[in-house]
Amino acid sequence: MAVRTKLLGRASASGTWPGADTLFDESFLRRLELLQVVARRLFRGRHRAERKSRKIGSGLEFADHREYSPGDDIRSLDWNVLIRLGQPLVRLFEEDEDLPIRVVLDVSDSMGTRAGAKLRYAFQVGAALAYVGLANLDRVGLTVASRHVHSTLLAVRGKGRIFRVFEFLSDAPRGGATDLRGLCSRVAAESSQPGVTIVLSDFYDLRAFEGLNTLRVRKHDVVAIQVLDPVEADPRKSALRGDVTLVDCEGGTRRDVTLAPASLEAFAAAHDRFCSALESSCRASGIPFFRAVVDVPFDDLVLRMFRIGGVLQ
Amino acid sequence: MTFAGWPLAELFAVFGVASAAITGLYLLRMRRREVVVPFSALWNEVMRESESRKLWRRLRRVFSWLVQLAILLLICVALGDPRPSVWIREPTTLAIVVDASASMSAWSGHDHSRLDVALERARAELAALGPADAALVVIAGSEVHVPVPLTREPWMAAPRLVGIESTPGEADFAAALELAHATLADQPGGRILVVTDGALDAPSRVALDRCMSEGPHCELVLAQGPTDNVAVTAFAARRYPRDPEHAEAIAQIHNFGDEVAFVMLVVRSADVTLARRPISIAPGTSQREIVPNIESAHARLEATIEAPSENDVARLGPAIDDTAYAVVPPLRPLDIVLISDGTDLFLEAALLTLDDHVRLTGIHPDDVSAHPSLADADLVIVDVGDRPLPRPLPDVDMVIFDPARQDSAASPVAVGRMLRRPFLTEQARAHPVLEYVVFKDVNLARASSFVLEPGDVPLVSSLGEAVVVLRERRHRTLLFGFDPRQSDLPLRVAFPLLIANTVAYFERVRPGFVAVVPVGEDRELALAELGLASATDASYVEIELPPYAERVGTVQRITVERGRMRIRPTRLGIHRVRARGGTADGAQAELAVNQVGVQASELRASIDETRASVAEAPSAAPVQQGPIWTLLLLSATLLLAAEWLGYHRRSTV
Repeated sequence: MAVRTKLLGRASASGTWPGADTLFDESFLRRLELLQVVARRLFRGRHRAERKSRKIGSGLEFADHREYSPGDDIRSLDWNVLIRLGQPLVRLFEEDEDLPIRVVLDVSDSMGTRAGAKLRYAFQVGAALAYVGLANLDRVGLTVASRHVHSTLLAVRGKGRIFRVFEFLSDAPRGGATDLRGLCSRVAAESSQPGVTIVLSDFYDLRAFEGLNTLRVRKHDVVAIQVLDPVEADPRKSALRGDVTLVDCEGGTRRDVTLAPASLEAFAAAHDRFCSALESSCRASGIPFFRAVVDVPFDDLVLRMFRIGGVLQ
Repeated sequence: MTFAGWPLAELFAVFGVASAAITGLYLLRMRRREVVVPFSALWNEVMRESESRKLWRRLRRVFSWLVQLAILLLICVALGDPRPSVWIREPTTLAIVVDASASMSAWSGHDHSRLDVALERARAELAALGPADAALVVIAGSEVHVPVPLTREPWMAAPRLVGIESTPGEADFAAALELAHATLADQPGGRILVVTDGALDAPSRVALDRCMSEGPHCELVLAQGPTDNVAVTAFAARRYPRDPEHAEAIAQIHNFGDEVAFVMLVVRSADVTLARRPISIAPGTSQREIVPNIESAHARLEATIEAPSENDVARLGPAIDDTAYAVVPPLRPLDIVLISDGTDLFLEAALLTLDDHVRLTGIHPDDVSAHPSLADADLVIVDVGDRPLPRPLPDVDMVIFDPARQDSAASPVAVGRMLRRPFLTEQARAHPVLEYVVFKDVNLARASSFVLEPGDVPLVSSLGEAVVVLRERRHRTLLFGFDPRQSDLPLRVAFPLLIANTVAYFERVRPGFVAVVPVGEDRELALAELGLASATDASYVEIELPPYAERVGTVQRITVERGRMRIRPTRLGIHRVRARGGTADGAQAELAVNQVGVQASELRASIDETRASVAEAPSAAPVQQGPIWTLLLLSATLLLAAEWLGYHRRSTV
């Protein structure tokens, strides 16, 4: 039983989910502090909370011209254009606005297989990103959701609020089927102001990209992080063979199969194709996509994301 | 099959309990393990399978259960320690003697030769032996050889009985059975099995009778078939005495069948067909055919009988006796020494007319004692007139005229009395010396009569008293009891004829040419008899064997002692003999080797067939190597491994 659980795990709403005591322990906090130091070095020289909104307003950076209309501030007139062309045009500036960061965590049953390794990893990455954001004086909110559960931590600011994040994650509800489309739609609907939305999931949903695209359409800067278990991605590593009944951890559908090396190889290839297709779709839509294997330490992943860019900038 | 281990009742009980346990365990095993997967949609895409594959998957489970039951059955049978009955009996040592004589090459009537049937029987006997038994196989042809020496694994020896062919001539059963006896002397359960067609020569019959009457147990199995056969039983060639440039061949064909045989006799020399003659032969009879006027240049002759049609081929019997060979004798002049004082010119003239055949050397009577020609002479003619006979007389063939003229004691044949003007009243007309010669009116002044001894042939007599005598001892001596000078014989036409007949007679009967040697017989031959008279001091000869069977061009080397050698030919055909060493190094002659004779081609059994065993060939032992239970366990283990590798190979998770 122990070996079986170690290799594939069993879907369960209780018992195998990562708990608060082991999720954010002391070693995690130490690595988080180290991560903050590294992140500060990376962000040095930048203004805090200088994330540009897409609003045109009173910022410093020129955005566009428009014709003058009565009531406009006369200080906004572009005198050079008026003198040169004789047209009264008003200068528009991008408005600097403090954009929120929302970390969305998929807590469906598929994230809980193999003793919840993926979920644990997703929680740690999510907590780390939240910590970096809070330390960067951004407003950070969290959402954990599946088809059956949905819980949101409203955006908070300040490094000291990290423990609320931990508490939220530790007590968050879990389980249910994966429904990324519904999850993203709800997150988009709840957000009064579009911001950076980081989605952490295994994306084991044939309509995963539709959900991510929904957020993008709603003006969110979407970042997709696919959390993968190497044994699930390539079952040849599990030495699983013979006649078995495959039980879906979310839907409970059952299928009698005979697993031969060839079929396991075919699954690994199909899994790779599925992930590659999702990544291609995301990149084609300008959505940064990261593949996170649970074997890689979470802080390495976070730093890699910072180095590559596109996240928290 | 006997179970030497657990009793059957216990085996059934064990099998019943264990099979029930296996069935129960299998029913439990039919429950599949559940494996939880996070993304079944992807698995569904990969694991689509057809209905036939599903059916096969179900059948495989049943097959696996049956395999387990089969493994259990094998183990239970192994516990019983099964043993074939052939393992339990006392060990035996079997010597199989297979007849490989020429008659065994005849058709058996079942698309195989008799030898094939015999070898098949031998293989069956070997296959029926158990692990404690031993066997050897002796092939009795014109030579004896042992393809399977005494072995404890006789079932492994069957492949060695492939490719064995019958040999020309008779089987040497005496040697083969003696070898079998000697081999079985110290072996337990000795038994000799003779497989033959029963067409044996006298020595083989004697050997077989002795074998069956004395221990160890000797059993006879007959491998027979149709007995129709037509064979060339003799073939020879000779030069015409008066025309040595031409020769004639004589062939004897024998019909061994029960109906009149029609065959075509073909005489060839190399690729040239010299004669083709249709012959009909009554059943059980021989017919001689003479082929005359063959150019002597055709030195090697081959007589073959052919069937007039394809349907008659079977009636010719084995092909081995359908061909015979002959060599035309080489032409060598006769060395004649004439001891004469030169006063008988008629005699010298008569001899000189034969110059093609005769190499004449004249010696005066005073020079006889030391003349070297006498030692090598084929014939010495002594005509010394009124002089005394030379002493001693040379030890060669001689013709002596008037031996008792001076001293009757000097005559090699005792002299009776002196006859005055005798009338010659009797003569042996049929004798070749007197062919076309009549003595009855020949006038003689005087003559001596001879006292005959047993074996002496009186050729001409006067009132019962022999006047001309032929004595055949180690050498032949022809004595004329009168002096030609004292008769009118030299004046007659008969005189040169008499001289020519005399020379031809001595030429014909001189130890000469051995035309044919029978195959398989041990013969001592003088090189002179092969036409190698000049090579009597050779140290050895090389005999190039005919291209018979697959060993083409094999050369045998045989030592020569004092001009004689001993050979035992084993192949039919013309052998080339080449002298080595001595003064005539490289001199060459040819020797024809044919079948032994009429008896060798007889396909009918010459033994009492009721003495043969009528038992069929034994059935092969089910397993030669034991014990069986180890094989059963090995089979079970292999089956288990195959089943595990093919079906159960997986890691439980």
